[in-house]
Amino acid sequence: MLSVKNLHASVGDKEILRGIDLEVRAGEVHAIMGPNGSGKSTFASVLAGNEKFTVTEGEVSFLGRNLLEMPIEDRAREGLFLGFQYPVEIPGVTMANFMKMAVAEQRKYRGEEPLTAAEFLRMMREKCAVVELDPKMTSRAVNEGFSGGEKKKNEIFQMAMLAPKLSILDETDSGLDIDALRIVATGVTKLKTADNATVVITHYQRLLDYIVPDYVHVLYKGRIIHSGDKSLALKLEREGYDWLINDYKE
Amino acid sequence: MGFSDYMLSDSCRQSAGSELRFDGGQAAPVAVCNPGRLSVAVADGAQARLVLSHGAGCCSTVDVAVGDGASLSIVELFVGGRSTMRIAQGAASRVALTSVVAGDGSAEYRTALDGAQAECDLGCVFLAGDDEHAQVKIRVEHNVADCRSASTVKGVAAGRGEGRFEGMVYVAPDAQRTDARQTSRNLTLGDEARITTLPQLEIYADDVKCSHGATVGQMDSDAVLYMRQRGLSEDAARRLQIEGFVADVVMRCAVEEAGEALLAELNAKLERL
Ligand SMILES: Nc1ncnc2c1ncn2[C@@H]1O[C@H](COP(=O)(O)OP(=O)(O)OP(=O)(O)O)[C@@H](O)[C@H]1O
Ligand SMILES: [Mg+2]
Repeated sequence: MLSVKNLHASVGDKEILRGIDLEVRAGEVHAIMGPNGSGKSTFASVLAGNEKFTVTEGEVSFLGRNLLEMPIEDRAREGLFLGFQYPVEIPGVTMANFMKMAVAEQRKYRGEEPLTAAEFLRMMREKCAVVELDPKMTSRAVNEGFSGGEKKKNEIFQMAMLAPKLSILDETDSGLDIDALRIVATGVTKLKTADNATVVITHYQRLLDYIVPDYVHVLYKGRIIHSGDKSLALKLEREGYDWLINDYKE
Repeated sequence: MGFSDYMLSDSCRQSAGSELRFDGGQAAPVAVCNPGRLSVAVADGAQARLVLSHGAGCCSTVDVAVGDGASLSIVELFVGGRSTMRIAQGAASRVALTSVVAGDGSAEYRTALDGAQAECDLGCVFLAGDDEHAQVKIRVEHNVADCRSASTVKGVAAGRGEGRFEGMVYVAPDAQRTDARQTSRNLTLGDEARITTLPQLEIYADDVKCSHGATVGQMDSDAVLYMRQRGLSEDAARRLQIEGFVADVVMRCAVEEAGEALLAELNAKLERL
């Protein structure tokens, strides 16, 4: 589904991603861990198409297409979803209106019939339930005045609405209390099918008790320096990153 | 339904250059197209609603007297044209106004709060497209004690458009316990668009609550990125952000029946920005 080869990206003169390789197949869950500042969010942003970063080397194919040539919105319409580490507030734009437009644009792109107002409302109610989000939230402005936890739930609500093929969730577990973590994580697992894939970026093994990864990768200084199965996350939780970083000679 | 359709479909449409008197209770809104010289009187205790539209080349002067305990709601749309509206408010009267200047055009309001406990809420939006000049001027005079006023003005300029807001809140020496608020928030799209905002306070009483604030900002590129990541085109994301920016003014349309038509006009203008 996603194939990343030797991906390099920079901001200005500063190289942040320094040769990432990653293969994600349908049905898989990948976890990306790594110390602060190692480039996890940058990797997610580059995949999503954030123009702040320049890709200087490497290839990315998504569902057989060259992802790097596609504009941001087409990546989304092809089924790539990024759950933002810091969801953005959009004053004056209600969640309902925002999602109505997003769903409409994505359906149009895929040549599907537009939803009727009633269908859309039913869908919103259903998807709110996935993350136990109060449907009243959808009449509020996007992320404006949402608590940290509500913002993260709202990201997964949008993921549910858009039913992406590949979801990259950037620290969707950060700042959640224990109940919210369970709700968000079970929400994500409910959305899991054999046809879609999930990449979760996280600092905590706890999330991975719910969203069980097939692979765990450690990103350090812009490269994946180690990969393993879910037991790697447990080891990292116990021992930290030192043993890996010391091992790793630039 | 466009704003002009709304005007045409209204049975109470008035011709220009007339006098309007409201003596009774709540009736259907009265709509006037290109008012010219118009005087409006709302009798003590009466309620009235007024919808005005201005076209290119039209210049109007509207005098409004709102009696004690009376209330008046006004919606105004400028698709070109200039107008000065002078409003005199009696005690415990209430005026709510929603005004949109879509393109070239100038809207000026001079409100005198002459009776205690008078209140006015003014919400204005001006949109200047390429090479257009749109402006809003507001002067609110608190001439007596215990009145409240709030003005919210949102400006958007695109291309080589120019927008301008001049605001003045005057508080007379005896106008104690005045509550006056004025905000001017502006959005410029592109490097060549310009917005000038001049909010001013002139306060001669000492026991007052007055605030004013003005900002000029640009499109939030993080918000555009966020919306595009959900599948909106860049154009749609930008438009939605501008719609959101002016939403708090237009969603609280002073005359509810005209709200949808006003929004349609606004969106049509945004398409062309
Ligand atoms: N716009 C930018 N300009 C300059 N440096 C940047 C920019 N964006 C990211 N960086 C730098 O790139 C590095 C990687 O940042 P990134 O946000 O990808 O890290 P991260 O792994 O997600 O960290 P965290 O765990 O704290 O979220 C950091 O050193 C950061 O300061
Ligand atoms: Mg990060």
